[in-house]
Amino acid sequence: MNVPVLEVRHLAIRFGGLRAVDDISLSVARNRITTIIGPNGAGKSTLFNLICGALRPQGGAVFIEGVDLTGAPPNRMHAAGLARSFQITNLFFELSVAENLRLAAQRLEPLANLLLPTNRSRTALARSAELMERFGLSAKAAYPVGKLSHGEQRRLEFAVALASRPKVLLLDEPTQGMSHGETEDTAALIRSLTKDVTVLLIEHDIGLVMSLSDHVFVMHQGQKIAEGSPLEVRANPTVQVAYFGQA
Amino acid sequence: MAGMLDYIQFVLAPQVITGLALGVAVILVALGLTIIFGLLDVINMSHGEFYAFGAFVALALGWLGLPFWLLLVFVPIVMLPIGYLVERGLIQRVFHTGDRHVMTLLLTFGLGLVLEDSLKLIFGPNPYRPDTPIRGAISVFGIFVPSYRLFMICVGAAVIAGVALVIYRTRLGAMVRASAFDRNMAASLGVPVERVYAGTFAFGIALAGLAGVLLAPIYSVFPTMGRDFILLAFTVVIVGGMGSIAGAVAAGIILTQIQAISSLYISPVWSDPIVFGIMVLMLMMRPQGLFGRLGHA
Amino acid sequence: MRDALSISMQASNALVAVLVMVALIFAVLGAAAGETFYLRLATEAMIFAGLALSVDILLGYTGLLSLGQALYFGLGAYLSALVLIESPSFWAAMGAALVAGIAVGLIGGFIANRVRGVYFALITFGMAQVAARAVYNTRAIGASDGLIGVPIVNINLGVTSVSSASPAGFFLLVLAMIVVLYAVSAYMLETPFGRLLIAIKANDRRVPFLGYHTMTVRLGSYVFAAVIATLSGALYPMLRGFVSPELLFFSTSGNAVIAVVIGGVGTLAGGLYGSLLLTLLKSVVGSWTEHHLIVIGLLFMGAVIFFPKGLAGVLRPVVERMLAIGKP
Repeated sequence: MNVPVLEVRHLAIRFGGLRAVDDISLSVARNRITTIIGPNGAGKSTLFNLICGALRPQGGAVFIEGVDLTGAPPNRMHAAGLARSFQITNLFFELSVAENLRLAAQRLEPLANLLLPTNRSRTALARSAELMERFGLSAKAAYPVGKLSHGEQRRLEFAVALASRPKVLLLDEPTQGMSHGETEDTAALIRSLTKDVTVLLIEHDIGLVMSLSDHVFVMHQGQKIAEGSPLEVRANPTVQVAYFGQA
Repeated sequence: MAGMLDYIQFVLAPQVITGLALGVAVILVALGLTIIFGLLDVINMSHGEFYAFGAFVALALGWLGLPFWLLLVFVPIVMLPIGYLVERGLIQRVFHTGDRHVMTLLLTFGLGLVLEDSLKLIFGPNPYRPDTPIRGAISVFGIFVPSYRLFMICVGAAVIAGVALVIYRTRLGAMVRASAFDRNMAASLGVPVERVYAGTFAFGIALAGLAGVLLAPIYSVFPTMGRDFILLAFTVVIVGGMGSIAGAVAAGIILTQIQAISSLYISPVWSDPIVFGIMVLMLMMRPQGLFGRLGHA
Repeated sequence: MRDALSISMQASNALVAVLVMVALIFAVLGAAAGETFYLRLATEAMIFAGLALSVDILLGYTGLLSLGQALYFGLGAYLSALVLIESPSFWAAMGAALVAGIAVGLIGGFIANRVRGVYFALITFGMAQVAARAVYNTRAIGASDGLIGVPIVNINLGVTSVSSASPAGFFLLVLAMIVVLYAVSAYMLETPFGRLLIAIKANDRRVPFLGYHTMTVRLGSYVFAAVIATLSGALYPMLRGFVSPELLFFSTSGNAVIAVVIGGVGTLAGGLYGSLLLTLLKSVVGSWTEHHLIVIGLLFMGAVIFFPKGLAGVLRPVVERMLAIGKP
């Protein structure tokens, strides 16, 4: 019984003449950190969009725990245990930090609790408090998200994705715009998750990629150009050409 | 076979022509609406009232003795500065808020109310029936066509062609399309975007006014005439594609033909539900309408 | 749960409580003075306040502008009239309105909720237009004349009974009904479901990634609002003794939107205040001139440009401070 928790086969999508994602196949190992890297425009975020249901693939398939969920909408993917964070912060800016997290954690409650007073959703509220603690946002619990600093928003973006206890977490450049210290904290957090969560990560910070990843997947112009351990990938001449123009 | 030809000659063709005459007027109204949405991103809920306004101004000037052909030119011209002022003075005030669509919709809705009641105040609630400016009918390939309708089709088609020409073949049109595509870029290239916006809005409502002048002898003139017409106009805009000129033309002709021909077979009370049904189907199946947006291909 | 949203809702509740107190005083004074006209006018204002409530739930909380809520109001009114003509039972009429609101709301909502924003506004507009024309042209329900001869209803409340003929009595009953509708709405909006609606208005693109099918959630809100509108409409024939197609016309939907904007979008209390204000304005201005729409239209435009928060929107922060439950 060794079904990969997430697998995509021959995924493809084009926008007009541009093949944004071109025949990508990837098998994500359970409870490991797999990082997708590649120069700008490689199609990494588009791949995320295809996996989580934001975009419908024009070719290929997406399997979660062996179940074919190709073309399912984002809420179905979420129900299957997939959650994602966004590269451009995509939170509820007018609402408070606590409310954002509670909304995200509400899925932990039975459906009927939607119609009961909110303070009966104890699990969701507890989860929200727990995450605020873990991500250092408790002091700003009642602040509208729009008033947070960029780094705090990125941390919240991560926390919101984590709130519903997903099986697979897709993190799209979680440390983008963060200070060095914040980046370190985030890296430690990601590593601490792998007991129960499988992480698929898009990252540009090479140091982070090297130190965090169990497996690296390199994309360039919509296609896969290399795959392997961090050291293997770094030494790979094709990867060097893609990034630097020369080996 | 003879029966079939007779049917075409005496029943179907006149109906098609009638539909075309209405279609041309609907296209004029819808064109204004779609240009205003395509460029300004504004939903003009008062568009129907400007259509009524045009008809009433023509009526009043007609009483003063102005001949019909002069009205056709004069009324739209009179409406241009009014539209310009409305855009600069009113619409611009809510233009930069977050919820532009809702705010402009609400604002123009209020404007429509004021316009409609003002017309009622000045002219009274009862309908007026202006005389048909061109009487009689002529025979075209053996089909009896009321002359006025033929006139409408010709004038309307000429104006529509003129609009398309200006938008796609002139510098002015290029400025309009550039402002629609990317306002800031156009401004930094020296396009007087504020004036283009105001001018475009003015032009849009002038088109509606022109339609009002043309349709007045056929449908009579009363203060709530805009309200009745607006559902059809919005449907044409949606089916054609919000912001698409070609779409407004295509959808305008198709929808009015459907109305005209279906009224031969089923009671006219069904025409509203049919029009609405087409709008809903389009929104459900292909929300962007038949064609793209102004400035975007 | 104490957060900014709950505090705002509490402020709204306080505003409604004030309104109710003023209304009660008004009713007592009116009854004592043997007054009929103003009590009936106030009752009508309260009935339309229910329609305004339904508009605000969609616009102020779910972010959907419906230009056709009159469809449901008229549906409730006509159904109520038909039921009452058959047998003058208040509860039967309300029950029928409830069922119809859910059924038709599901159908209408299914059609309208496939789209959002402007398209949603236009579809709801179109639906109401089509329904209005249909009613206008149907002989069986009176066509353009509508239905008359709705009998006086005796509403049995167990301990006491209220007659729809009694100006003060019926006013209090309608007030109570609307307050109940308000309370249910306020409760709903504070539940996780209601908070989902608010989330949809805040950023509807993120909501599916939280695991929810936004169309279904919006449909739920739409049906809820439809029921509020039908239940309010059901009260109308009890007050006026007749129903007519005007109840479904765009002006009815439009007036509700105006009431909400003037009263305060997204405050729930705003719909109630706005409706009363609008009725007051119409009656005051209407006594000078027939063309009160010009004044109201200008006022509305002024509100949209200069006071988009509306009356309750401006009052709420003041109330929040007064109740000494400030923000952290």
